[in-house]
Amino acid sequence: MGDSQYSFSLTTFSPSGKLVQIEHALTAVGSGQTSLGIKASNGVVIATEKKLPSILVDETSVQKIQILTPNIGVVYSGMGPDSRVLVRKSRKQAEQYNLLYKEPIPVTQLVRETAAVMQEFTQSGGVRPFGVSLLVAGYDDKGPQLYQVDPSGSYFSWKASAMGKNVSNAKTFLEKRYTDDMELEDAIHTAILTLKEGFEGQISGKNIEIGVIEADRTFRRSPDCSSNRRLSSRGRVAVSFSFRRCFKYPE
Amino acid sequence: MSSEGMDGPKLGFSFDLYSRNDMLTKKGLKPPGYLKTGTTIVGLIFKDGVILGADTRATAGPIVADKNCEKIHYMAPNIYCCGAGTAADTEAVTDNISSQLKLHRYHTGRESRVVTALTLLKSHLFRYQGHVSAALVLGGVDVTGPHLHTIYPHGSTDTLPFATMGSGSLAAMAIFESEYREGLTRDEGVNLVTKAICSGIFNDLGSGSNVDICVIEKGKKEYLRNHLTPNPRTYISSKGYAFSKKTEVLLTKITPLKELVDVVQVGGDAMEE
Repeated sequence: MGDSQYSFSLTTFSPSGKLVQIEHALTAVGSGQTSLGIKASNGVVIATEKKLPSILVDETSVQKIQILTPNIGVVYSGMGPDSRVLVRKSRKQAEQYNLLYKEPIPVTQLVRETAAVMQEFTQSGGVRPFGVSLLVAGYDDKGPQLYQVDPSGSYFSWKASAMGKNVSNAKTFLEKRYTDDMELEDAIHTAILTLKEGFEGQISGKNIEIGVIEADRTFRRSPDCSSNRRLSSRGRVAVSFSFRRCFKYPE
Repeated sequence: MSSEGMDGPKLGFSFDLYSRNDMLTKKGLKPPGYLKTGTTIVGLIFKDGVILGADTRATAGPIVADKNCEKIHYMAPNIYCCGAGTAADTEAVTDNISSQLKLHRYHTGRESRVVTALTLLKSHLFRYQGHVSAALVLGGVDVTGPHLHTIYPHGSTDTLPFATMGSGSLAAMAIFESEYREGLTRDEGVNLVTKAICSGIFNDLGSGSNVDICVIEKGKKEYLRNHLTPNPRTYISSKGYAFSKKTEVLLTKITPLKELVDVVQVGGDAMEE
């Protein structure tokens, strides 16, 4: 690559106008586990595959989908430890906003502040960009919203999006299946089907994670559901979520 | 009082010192004032949890600034805190620690414990060396059971089965000390707390208006705002407060003023424009 002389320093532009470190960060994201999100008319669903390095790993200790505020959740693709730092910072920012204005932070505001943090790390000395892209799902006064935030700090609002390994196939699948007036139940169904497309091995309740937010503005996460998804052996997905009984973060 | 010693039954007031006090006041000595923190807040542990109670009067010196303020502050879904002292201080400190507890809950994924709130509050108050004038009664139920604590403005704490704070604390404590026992039921507990707060409302000048109660049990809480309103407004005059717009004329007397004098120019130049 002709840009190789400029590829080591984050804070130096290459002649083609790129910051090569950010490109590399996006590559790191692209090799991470697939995650996706779909915005329905009455809610948002985010999902990710949870491939553990070995069967000996206690899967209940791994939580890829995290809550930021009672009505905003997030999933990532890329480097897990980087996402933890961002989640922690975002939670604090959301809480500071709440303390100052005595209202829950709007989804766009939180996304903007998280993106600002990610951008800081592309313009400072001695640091590297975050190796994660985040999918932020929330429900506020403007309705259900889904945002993607990239390592560069840019953010986009999506109706449906995917990130990680299987991104192009997943996006094509989503483009075909997405309709504007989709309901949340359909969206969850579509999300699982999309994950199943690129899944290596048998999909089951134990190796995916689903997060959902509906009109009651309470973010819920799947793995702690008492009734799990039944994925029939013939490959057809029978969705039997009972999200009302699902794990809710302590308020 | 009287320097004459015991001679006959003492009936009525002794005004012996009246002339002395009068002379002192005339010379500029200010008599002692009533400026106190003005609150009655209480808490007690009953069979299944904790009950907190508070009056609803906020004072600014001798003036009632708010007749129905909220002194029971939310800390966590299972922890509430009553505040006495400077209202701004109690609000700010409980808001701040409530925020910190929330972040802690997200990070750990667990319900907050009362001792966590206690430690955060007392560290904060100690750091400010008593300048944050907040005296708190903290109560809640967590995995380890029901807890009740008092926190003083300088940062010291007590753990008690029943507690009172504020200027009405003596009146309320009198009720508790005579009637509290372990293993009260919910209704008995609520009645006792109400009685203690009423004692503060009616016997302490700094406390008044209504009674707020908060019952916290394992897994649920009930915030009974204005559980009792023993001081309703009863002084509205049926005639209303409209007064006739005219001033009543009692007497008319006309006194002519001095006659106006016309100045006539006799001669001379008119003034230059």
